[in-house]
Amino acid sequence: MKMVRKTAFFLTAVIAFILPLSSCSEKVSVQPVPVEEKSTNSVIGAVDFAHELDSYVPKKDTYNFYFTYKIVHPWWDAVALGMEEAQRQYLEKGITITYEYMAPEAASAEDQKDRLARVKNADYDIIGVDVADEEIISPVIDEMIDEGCKVMTFSSSDAAKGCKRIAYVGNTHNYQDGADLTQALCEKLDYKGKVAILVGSVGAPCHEDRARGAKDTLAKYPDMETVAVEYDMDSIENAYNLTLDILDKTPDLAGIICCNMSNPVGAARAITERGSDTVIVGMDHDEEALRYLNDGVIYCLGVQDCFSIGFDTLQVAVKIADGNLPGDLYPELTNEITTIIYKEDAAQMLELLYGDIL
Amino acid sequence: MTNDKERISKGFVSTAIIGSALVMVILVVITVWASRTTVSTTDDAVAAVSSFYLEAMADYRARTVNNLINNNFEHMEVALNVIKDGNISSQEELRNSLGNTKKLLSLNRFALVDEDNIVYTQYTTYTGGSRYDFLSSDKLNERVVSTINMYGSSKQLCLAIPTDGLVIMGKPFKACFVMIDIKDISNLLLLEDQGTTYFALYTKTGGNLSDTDLGPIKAGNNILEKTKDHISAASWEKLSADFEEGKEGNLTLVWDGTQETLCYAPVPNTGWMMAILIHENVIHEQFREMSESNHLTSRILIMVTLFSMALFATILLLQSRKASRARLESEMENSRMFKSMANTDSLTGVRNKHAYSEYESKINDKIRSGELKDRLAVLVCDINGLKIVNDTQGHAAGDKLIKDACDLICEHFTHGAVFRIGGDEFVVILQDRGYDKMDETLASINREVEENIEKGKVVVAVGHSVLTGEDEQIHDVFERADSMMYKRKQELKAMGAKTRE
Repeated sequence: MKMVRKTAFFLTAVIAFILPLSSCSEKVSVQPVPVEEKSTNSVIGAVDFAHELDSYVPKKDTYNFYFTYKIVHPWWDAVALGMEEAQRQYLEKGITITYEYMAPEAASAEDQKDRLARVKNADYDIIGVDVADEEIISPVIDEMIDEGCKVMTFSSSDAAKGCKRIAYVGNTHNYQDGADLTQALCEKLDYKGKVAILVGSVGAPCHEDRARGAKDTLAKYPDMETVAVEYDMDSIENAYNLTLDILDKTPDLAGIICCNMSNPVGAARAITERGSDTVIVGMDHDEEALRYLNDGVIYCLGVQDCFSIGFDTLQVAVKIADGNLPGDLYPELTNEITTIIYKEDAAQMLELLYGDIL
Repeated sequence: MTNDKERISKGFVSTAIIGSALVMVILVVITVWASRTTVSTTDDAVAAVSSFYLEAMADYRARTVNNLINNNFEHMEVALNVIKDGNISSQEELRNSLGNTKKLLSLNRFALVDEDNIVYTQYTTYTGGSRYDFLSSDKLNERVVSTINMYGSSKQLCLAIPTDGLVIMGKPFKACFVMIDIKDISNLLLLEDQGTTYFALYTKTGGNLSDTDLGPIKAGNNILEKTKDHISAASWEKLSADFEEGKEGNLTLVWDGTQETLCYAPVPNTGWMMAILIHENVIHEQFREMSESNHLTSRILIMVTLFSMALFATILLLQSRKASRARLESEMENSRMFKSMANTDSLTGVRNKHAYSEYESKINDKIRSGELKDRLAVLVCDINGLKIVNDTQGHAAGDKLIKDACDLICEHFTHGAVFRIGGDEFVVILQDRGYDKMDETLASINREVEENIEKGKVVVAVGHSVLTGEDEQIHDVFERADSMMYKRKQELKAMGAKTRE
């Protein structure tokens, strides 16, 4: 049995190594809005709150799940609301789903590893993981799978290629998101100038992928110079201080590429404080970031559909818990879209997400 | 005399008509003036009433929200006691307890939070440090009311209380809380007359919480932003300051040509502002309807009053005329009676000398006018022996003799006018039928008189004469008849009748 698992792991690793990155992305539909469009219509459909459960009939009346994610942060609170809506709809159908949705105060792969170790033998139908660090967590997941746990990954970070996790629901195009944001920045700066890259947590696949996408895009333009790459560990305060440091060192900083939700908020605070003209591009839907976008401090934001991530995660979890494997019932990779929005879209997005026009 | 009465009567009628008309005019003028005054003061009243009305509505709804908050806090305290007494030893028991308590006390999303900011609800357990601001502090010291803008535009009222001493499954818990969807609160407060009167809840910065339209300010719009171009800068500054400081107030604004009245009041403990708006033209419309109704009532009252007055005046006039007529008739009757009394001989009941004089005058007029030329006879009758009877038997016997004589004359001259023109003298005027039977009647009375001489009864000497074309007045006829009467008196004396001689 162990030999079979090792062989499978080996084959998976080989395939992951051989296949180029694009081969994986071919399975999914990445839908960033082309930079050229910059339309206010881009908000429509960016986040879908009108979900209904599909026609799948669960085999049990009760389910108990455990989900763990990188860090206590509003981004994952938005994912949680999608989960709660799915849970409510299941409850209306007479199916009770209980779950835990847990994260540390500070991003930590070791903490996630410990959590998974604690819960893997508990009575959970599914364990969902938003991978904190693919190098550390992927083997843990494989081990859990080998021990008979049903493990899926979700939200913005999948496990490493070849990991045995059963399915992933979330952003499957982080690299492309990073590339798209950077492309927008380069266009804005007329393809020249000094830029910095702010990343989230070290090792977090989504953040690292976006950073890679940013770097690869910048590399295409010789007049674009990367002066700093810093990690804020998903802390706005860190992002703010890091930006101030970068501005001190590079007063003529032309742009900042922000790869997570806290980056653009901290950067915008620092830029506003300094009165700098530095152009900010960044990720996610933080209310403060959206207001900076509306004010023109942030140039554009890549908004992920967190609600759909949460809703679909729970729906896929039920199917996995019933013993179904990826196929007709659900794909191995359930992609959720990212939409790049601009100043013109900010008010509408604020109203959509927070119900308040400035 | 009659003319005076008619003049007085006409004067009375004229006065009544003019007086009534004057009263009616005064009534109409006063009513019109009162009506116009009412209309002119309506505008002032509208502003005052609408402000009062809206302030009361805003205060009432603000108190309703406050009561809702207090009730939930009380229920949470009860729920905590139930959970404390529950001896919960597992997460499953905790979830069941939370579910039962939530259901029992009708609490929305009831949750416990442990010291690590892990939130426990009926179905889920999650790390909630980034989701609820009140969890940012390590320890909760007092009740907390906060508003949460949820991702997805859902807005929740979060009520939290500290849970000092609560330990479950070996873990200290620091708080419990409920979440109330502000849409549910909006439904609770929804105005019945939505469409004319609106309400909405706002944050201190003017953000719409209730997802309700406030008249022209649509749900979701910031009230401070939207009103900026519709009120003066000073009013907007005050509005903004009132919102920021949680002060109540009101203002009017014109929006698309419609005047709106806006009242706002703080909702205690929430940092919210309750705003009520009403289209002022709605109030005007209601006032106008009431005013028109009052005008209609006034008009009806005036018409009824006028009709009543006219009816009353008519009745009064008729009554007055009736009374006048009655009085007139009474006076005429009295006059007739007095006249009758003046023309009647009190002893015999026939007409007296005065009546004869009037009669004589009328006959003379007719003779002079040629209307009466003949067929009229004058008989002069004189009682024989009256003085002797008076002197010897007394005046009572004399009076009886006069009555007997009168009776005798009247019995025979039934178709003639009999007058007593002196103590013992009567005149009979015969016309028409009486004239035709005069000879027969004279013969009859003379025969009875002659018989009476022997019987000792009343003896009357009768002389007569008829009107001729030569007579200028009746007295001429009288003179001839009187002469004849004296002759007859002599004849009767000769027959044995008593005379004073």
